Amino acid sequence: MLIDRTHRKWFVGSIAGLAVATAVYIPYSLHSPQGPKGGSAVGLTYGIAGFLFMLFAGLLGLRKKFPVWRVGRAQSWMRGHLWLGFISFPLILFHGGFHFGGLLTRVLMWMFVFVWISGIVGAALQHFMPRFQTAQLPMETIYEQIDRVRGQLAEEAGNLVEETCSALEGEVSRASERQRAMSASAGTQGGLTVASGLQANQQVSAQLRQFLDNELRPYLERAGAHAMSLAQGSQAHAMFQQFRVLLPPELHSNLDDLENICEEKRQLDKQSRLHKILHGWLLVHIPLSYALLLLGAVHAVVALKF
Amino acid sequence: MLRRTRTTKKLAKRIDLQYFARPHPFRRWRFWLSLSIPAIALGWFIMQRAHGGQKVYSSGQLSRAHAVFTEQCALCHVTQAGAFIAHVNDKACLACHDAPLHHANQTFTPECAACHVEHKGAMLLQATADAACTECHAQLSTRDGQAHYATSITGFDNQHPEFAPLRSGKADPGGVRLNHYLHLQPGLMGPNNTRVQMTCDDCHRTAGGGVWPYGAPGVLPVAATQPTLGHPSNQVYMALPEFAKHCAACHTLQFDKRFGNEQVPHDKPEVVRAFLLKRFGDYIAAHPEAVHEVNPPDRQIPERVRVPRVARNAAEWVQFRVDDAQWLLYAKTCKQCHTLTPTGGPLPEVAKSNFTARWMAHAEFDHHAHRMMFCTACHTRTTDSRETSDVLLPGIQTCQQCHRPQGAAKEAAEGRCFECHEYHDWSKAKPTKGGFTIQQLRGSIQTSVPKG
Repeated sequence: MLIDRTHRKWFVGSIAGLAVATAVYIPYSLHSPQGPKGGSAVGLTYGIAGFLFMLFAGLLGLRKKFPVWRVGRAQSWMRGHLWLGFISFPLILFHGGFHFGGLLTRVLMWMFVFVWISGIVGAALQHFMPRFQTAQLPMETIYEQIDRVRGQLAEEAGNLVEETCSALEGEVSRASERQRAMSASAGTQGGLTVASGLQANQQVSAQLRQFLDNELRPYLERAGAHAMSLAQGSQAHAMFQQFRVLLPPELHSNLDDLENICEEKRQLDKQSRLHKILHGWLLVHIPLSYALLLLGAVHAVVALKF
Repeated sequence: MLRRTRTTKKLAKRIDLQYFARPHPFRRWRFWLSLSIPAIALGWFIMQRAHGGQKVYSSGQLSRAHAVFTEQCALCHVTQAGAFIAHVNDKACLACHDAPLHHANQTFTPECAACHVEHKGAMLLQATADAACTECHAQLSTRDGQAHYATSITGFDNQHPEFAPLRSGKADPGGVRLNHYLHLQPGLMGPNNTRVQMTCDDCHRTAGGGVWPYGAPGVLPVAATQPTLGHPSNQVYMALPEFAKHCAACHTLQFDKRFGNEQVPHDKPEVVRAFLLKRFGDYIAAHPEAVHEVNPPDRQIPERVRVPRVARNAAEWVQFRVDDAQWLLYAKTCKQCHTLTPTGGPLPEVAKSNFTARWMAHAEFDHHAHRMMFCTACHTRTTDSRETSDVLLPGIQTCQQCHRPQGAAKEAAEGRCFECHEYHDWSKAKPTKGGFTIQQLRGSIQTSVPKG
């Protein structure tokens, strides 16, 4: 989510609220006979406010689960989640007087630390990374479809290699329309076949097939495969340059396509990595948030009792 | 030349349009973690509750004094019948502790827990915050409307008055002449005609080994003679000056050369006179020929030369010798330290000593805690003091050099109110009746019994 001017009201409101809370806290902590305590009137107020903000932030998941509910715009919920969640942590610190307390409260506070920091990291990632991704990965696709697209790329590469090899071996039937057109334009009148315009080279064809089987297909079919030569743009380019020397210029466009397929695979791998970074924090943030709310509710009830 | 093109149509054909309906590993992970982490947290909490009772709710470690019943929350958190709330109230504290009133004229009595805050770790509960005291003492008001103490004290370094004995017009009421300056001079004549250099701890000690260096022969060791002055430790206050312990070795009380170094008792004039009558009576009975001897008194005061008198009989001889000895004692020996008032009779009245054991009646001071220092580091005026009436107590500024309310936080010694003052008036303390068994305090904890 881009944190832009549309957040101004939430930002100003949150910072103002935090400033008021801080302004109240300083004299309260200085003049409390035994220091700030969660059970005092002021401490309880901070605790209740902080927990309500946490609850609101936690309700975002429910709001997303039921998008048809008429309870405000999803964007507003997201902004509220972001800013109220942000100030809930200092409020809870004020509530406890910057002490983590006993076992339950210590566990709660450490969970909150992780939730809060992961939230901030997540917000920063969501702010910066999508733009970075757009600039860096023009061939990105839907994350969940990367496996499927990778398979399609492998198939496309196989076809291209087969087509190239056929052309090299003189099989007209498997030559592409374009090759046939090129041959026709370059061919002679006297019953020459299309393939006769190309120099048949069994050895090069075999090398290309070997390249497909040993390098290209394994690379395209396997996610990541960072150790393979084709995972590095410069190495991949060098390999394709060697084939360009061996292949006639008419077939260089096929090599360009193959190289482009490898580039797309590299981008998909990179997208996959960035996606894990962009969304991986949620694996910490969301589960810990639920645990925090659950134990926080226990703490609230117990604190009222004792 | 690149032939691959990425049109929207081509890209759309790549996508499985139902992809969102099938769970992706990332979503699956998120789902299961969202279930399992809270479940683990809840499980942890239930386990804690099952094994540690209510300890998991504790907001922090108990103080050292209460750590023994950490498991027994209900000892302090007493639940009223049918109520959910289990806040700590004073009754729970008073079940074990007596808490005498601070002052009869106080307008407000805080709850125990307002000052003695628990669950703050292994600390001393009496280490209360200054704010608990200044809540009243910053603007002191009393029930009778009269201010008995300074009415505006906000801290040891802020508006705390000078110690009462040092305020103007106060003098040491000791009653015995003592010149500190003189006693600390080098080469003083000490016991058995030796030259000595006295130091402070020759006379001023709390407890410890050794004997009093200038005490009478046979005087008890220091530790055995140390008064506690109502304080549980016997190393807190200095021993009160006593003739036998501090003076007798140098300030001898010989009364007549016939008796060598024998001394009169350091007691009331009547006792001294009775002693003299007996000793001289015994002597003349054993030496009847001495009645007609004419000997000048063995010690004379140069400006007041005493003419020797000749007795006609033993009774008169005893009377003359007792008079001579008393004259020597009361004109010189005793007078050196005591104030003597003529009564019209044969014996003067000796002013009673009135040493001050605790100079600060409303505050505690621990000499033992300051034992690493020179005495004169704080009692700075001692070496120049020539008058008995000099109050040699250090002033508040001396204390403030080390003690500050912020204590260790300001790289200083503790300076909060509790360091010197006690809230409860323990002179009014009542004995507390025990009401708990070991099981009640410790819960179901089993003590291990050695096998065999």
